[in-house]
Amino acid sequence: MSLNDLISRLFADPGDAGKKPSQAAAPERLDNHRVNVKLTVNGTVYEREVEARYLLADFLRHELGLKGTHIGCEQGVCGACTVLIDGRTARACLQFAAALEGAEITTVEGIAGDGPLHPIQQAFHENHAVQCGYCTSGFLLTTIEFLKRNPDPTREQVREALVNNVCRCTGYLNIVDAVEAAAVKMRDRTLDAGGEPS
Amino acid sequence: MNEISDWTLIGKSVPRREDAYLLRGQGKYLDDLPVPQNTMHLGFVCSPYAHAKIAGVDASRAKALPGVIDVLTGADFSDDILPFAPDIQIDGYRRVERLVIAVDKVRFVGEYVAVILADSPYIAQDAIELVDVDYDPLPAVSGIEEALKGDAPVLFDSLGDNMVFESHFETEGFEEQFDSADLVLEEEFRLGRVTGLPIEPRGCLAVIDEVADTYTLWTPTQIPHQVRTAIADHLQMPESSVRVVTPVVGGGFGTKCHVFPDELVAVALVRRYRRAVKWVQDRREQLLSDPHAREHLHRIKVAVNRDGVIQAIKLNLMTNSGAYANYPFSCTLEATGAARMLPGPYRIRNYKYDVVSALTNTCPTGAYRGTGQPSCFLAMEGMMDRIGRTLDIDPADVRRRNVVNPDQFPYVNVVGVRYDTGSYLQSLDRVVELSGYDEFRARQPRDRLIDGKYRGIGICNYTEVSGTGAPGWRVRGFAKMPGFDSARVVVEPDGRASVFLSQADAGQGHLTAFAQVAADRLGLEYADVRVFEGDTAKTPFGTGTFASRGSVVGGGSIIRCCDKLIAKIKRIAGVILQADPADLVLGGGCVHRAGAPGNSLTMEQVAETAYSMNNIPLPEGEDHGLEATDYYDPPMVTLANGTHIAQVAVDPDDGRIEIENYTLVHDCGRVINPMIVKGQIHGGTVQGIGEALMEEIVYDSDGQHLNANLLDYVIPLAMDIPDMRIDHIETPSIDTVGGIKGTGECGVTGAVPAIANAVCDALAGIGVNIRSVPLRPSFILEQIENARREAAG
Amino acid sequence: MKPAPFKLYVPEDEQEILALLHEYGTEARILAGGQSLVPLMNMRILQPQVLISLNRCAALSYLNEQGGGYAIGARTRQAELEDSERVAQRLPLVSAAMPYVGVRASRNCGTVCGSLAHADPLAELPSVAAALEATFEIASVRGRREVSADEFYLSALSNCLEPDEMLRQVWIPKAGSDSKSVFLEVSNRAHGFAVAGLALSVDIDAGGVCRKARLAAMGLSETTLRLRPAEKLLEGKVLTEELVEEASAVSTEATAPYQDIHADREYRRRVAGVLVKRALLNCSETVN
Repeated sequence: MSLNDLISRLFADPGDAGKKPSQAAAPERLDNHRVNVKLTVNGTVYEREVEARYLLADFLRHELGLKGTHIGCEQGVCGACTVLIDGRTARACLQFAAALEGAEITTVEGIAGDGPLHPIQQAFHENHAVQCGYCTSGFLLTTIEFLKRNPDPTREQVREALVNNVCRCTGYLNIVDAVEAAAVKMRDRTLDAGGEPS
Repeated sequence: MNEISDWTLIGKSVPRREDAYLLRGQGKYLDDLPVPQNTMHLGFVCSPYAHAKIAGVDASRAKALPGVIDVLTGADFSDDILPFAPDIQIDGYRRVERLVIAVDKVRFVGEYVAVILADSPYIAQDAIELVDVDYDPLPAVSGIEEALKGDAPVLFDSLGDNMVFESHFETEGFEEQFDSADLVLEEEFRLGRVTGLPIEPRGCLAVIDEVADTYTLWTPTQIPHQVRTAIADHLQMPESSVRVVTPVVGGGFGTKCHVFPDELVAVALVRRYRRAVKWVQDRREQLLSDPHAREHLHRIKVAVNRDGVIQAIKLNLMTNSGAYANYPFSCTLEATGAARMLPGPYRIRNYKYDVVSALTNTCPTGAYRGTGQPSCFLAMEGMMDRIGRTLDIDPADVRRRNVVNPDQFPYVNVVGVRYDTGSYLQSLDRVVELSGYDEFRARQPRDRLIDGKYRGIGICNYTEVSGTGAPGWRVRGFAKMPGFDSARVVVEPDGRASVFLSQADAGQGHLTAFAQVAADRLGLEYADVRVFEGDTAKTPFGTGTFASRGSVVGGGSIIRCCDKLIAKIKRIAGVILQADPADLVLGGGCVHRAGAPGNSLTMEQVAETAYSMNNIPLPEGEDHGLEATDYYDPPMVTLANGTHIAQVAVDPDDGRIEIENYTLVHDCGRVINPMIVKGQIHGGTVQGIGEALMEEIVYDSDGQHLNANLLDYVIPLAMDIPDMRIDHIETPSIDTVGGIKGTGECGVTGAVPAIANAVCDALAGIGVNIRSVPLRPSFILEQIENARREAAG
Repeated sequence: MKPAPFKLYVPEDEQEILALLHEYGTEARILAGGQSLVPLMNMRILQPQVLISLNRCAALSYLNEQGGGYAIGARTRQAELEDSERVAQRLPLVSAAMPYVGVRASRNCGTVCGSLAHADPLAELPSVAAALEATFEIASVRGRREVSADEFYLSALSNCLEPDEMLRQVWIPKAGSDSKSVFLEVSNRAHGFAVAGLALSVDIDAGGVCRKARLAAMGLSETTLRLRPAEKLLEGKVLTEELVEEASAVSTEATAPYQDIHADREYRRRVAGVLVKRALLNCSETVN
């Protein structure tokens, strides 16, 4: 349902709520609850005390300095902040770091580390699947999860998988090409490695 | 002019060097920059009302919140910041000013009412909720036609009504020509309100350099030099005391080629508090208050003869200004753009337009990719199809009969725009062939039997204004829009080159493409040239990157600048090689006599001499150093062109439109990097698909913005996009340096009309007339239902 | 756009969760996947004082075969059902609907019970639960109770949970061997943010007679809506083209749809009929 309608359903006086969403239901301020959390990011264990309300995206960016996770909407729609939590894509803007005790998180910085580009990154480069780059981290992580689940996708399946993320520059076609090319590279890599998926 | 041959890098799909850091998440966007300690984080209190008097602002609760440094209202800035307004000098325009933070009155939902200074963005958000603003709501108006009615609420009492801009044009003897044609067709076309929606929201970081008493504003803008000028003007400070720098920019699309109230506020605050200030916009704020575009209403009459040749066009265009005038463009940008470009690729000699823009209680409108062109070609190309249907001539033939023919270039159109070269007929013929247009037409009646869907095909034949120079801006009233751009090219002591360009990349790949241009011109390896942009302290002054001007004006500046520098390189080398500089050529990183590469100097040797780092004395009369600066002000405009053909299937049960086939042929003159050009076409076309099929910002009649979030402002995803067949024609400009034409806006310009025409073609047989966008399923079904009801009597 | 402060609990067992709900009541919200809740908190539309995360309560994450169906725990992520072979075999309607539920990243985090409890009129899973006559198991410190979808949904964003209760599991019966199911939706783009949708489950015997029909529509009402006139019409009859047309027509009449900026009432009403027709034709094709 549209957000405006949702607001009007949530509040007693729909007219007022609809008109003044920013002023709806401001409670008295709580003391900021701080929580100790220990989690793994790109293979490194971090233990931090954070505000309960601190979003994972802000935690990664401002607490750990991993700024490749970009914030685009904080509404869970655009996918620019997509990371992997325990190997699965998730919106970092919809997670509270404090609730992720023990989680293993991969960000764009963890894809290739300081080494050569990952085959998926290489495919994005070769297929001009990057323009402004703001959405790119999210697309890369979506592709990692997708090709793990479906190593030999059809072009339509690639399109379906890519609805996980929004891009405003490329028109998507080069990203679709890149994911197809990446699938081939990944299969080749698996064969080179003796058939064991990496 | 400057015929260029034997390019080795220009025209090659060199992979982008920007990718190396972007793919690793290492691009430093605004929110990624390191900030000084004690940086203050801003939050803006936004008006929830479309139109209201501000009776009072009580910030005491907010100020009491721990972590809040201060809360300021509009009155706190009245001595710091002059009323904000662009300098538009054109008949019929009425100046309206905006206070960067509203004082007595708000005029749209999202307008800034107060600003919070806090220790963190979270606290700033907490404090926003604690500012108590006492509003006295006023009646509001959001639609163009409603705003121009006599009893409409008036936004600016000083104006008396809401008419903010009107413009008129009429060729000599127009009425006579119009009346003497065989028949007159008329139609009304509407475009919904849309916006650029870069995935990176805006923001700014203002820091102080105590030693030099200067301020640096980091902002993801397409126009750094214009931002600096606007700040200096409105904050009444020396231009030299402000440096504007763009970090890596996450998409612009015209949205980021404005100067914003928050940028002025940030610099005013850093000046006042002598502490760094940072603000990062969120998506809601972005959709509420960054410039919107379109919302146009065309009433067009075309006087045409039985052979399908247009004799005269009368256009009545109404556009929605929103509540204020965006800097630097105002509402006139799209209004004059649409009216002046409507003749497009056609030989229209008799033309009359009347343009009106209305102030409304909505977000101010401004630039968005395509600016005016998706709008005017929706009308113009829609009329081409209607002429065809009325006179029973194939729509492609109607266009063939009206285009400027190859032998007519250079051609000066009815409003005085020179078309130096173009391939209007060729691109049309090529795309008709590639798309299987004729075959589709032959099978179209049978296609419906396959699955009950209505199928249609639509053409858009367009010109694309690009590389506008000073004359092009002046004629449209943009008094402070420079038009030129500039480059400083330095051959460093090691013989490698640095290029400092007045433009600002927002994802287009300038660092790659412009390195290709400079390397080619200087005869250096591509890897030995670096490009720097987006910093008023490093680069010479210029206009910026928007309106399809990057490649034309940036590329042209670099070529001119390189040529100036090459003259010096040759003079120095000439003395050393004991050769006439006129006989020397550059290539392979060396300077040598044409045809005698054996006796050569490396660029490094020339540079060492220029920088006095070897024993070879600099020739008498030469200055040290090896650099040049040059400026390029292109002609009024240069026109790219192309033709899109969309073939669609419309499901009459659920109203959904599927694009089954998409083909386009494009001509942007000399291509610097074909891969990048194709990327621009893809991206623009998909924004056009969004505008044609789904995107629309919705206001209710009280001026409430109903979809300021990404769940409700619906934009295309990968599943919405068909594969595209793309072909290029390369007709270099004879007016621009290097023969380059622009390419940024062709996609959206071609796609909106092509898709609308295809849907109209599909449904014309059942009496449905498509003349507006977006074409959402519910709208389509309603049209089909209305037509059925009408047919049933 | 940052959430207001709140107090976070991440309890490890169900009793603790229920005790917290008992203590905080309306001030607290369960944080399951957070895919609907957190956007609303980021926009400060919702400002709960207390969040109770299920993240560490592994006992509530299950997909268990139980009594001729599957029991799905409060913390079971949607993607677990999407990826499950068993679900594809035994709960084909759930499987069919899953790709429409948000996007992969939201399904990885979002829970089945969380989406059911959120009660968005344009969400897929409530209609799936209604069409499959799922049982909603509700728990509080006062005990457990079971309700049907009809009883669970009150209106848009409103369910029958008391402030101290949570939806601890949903039980969905397995599809029988005669059972066919279809999930369809329409949207303003190819994927996401549906304007209307339909979950259909029918049992058709060897003679082609429809023994049982359950149709639940989304976007046609403030809550998921069972299309009972169509169900009544179909049961006991052979699925002929005429019958399909008739069922489609009564579905169009039966609805008093929801309306928003994405589609008006009339569109949703008409599309309801279209979806019913498409779904039934799809079933009869599978039969033939």
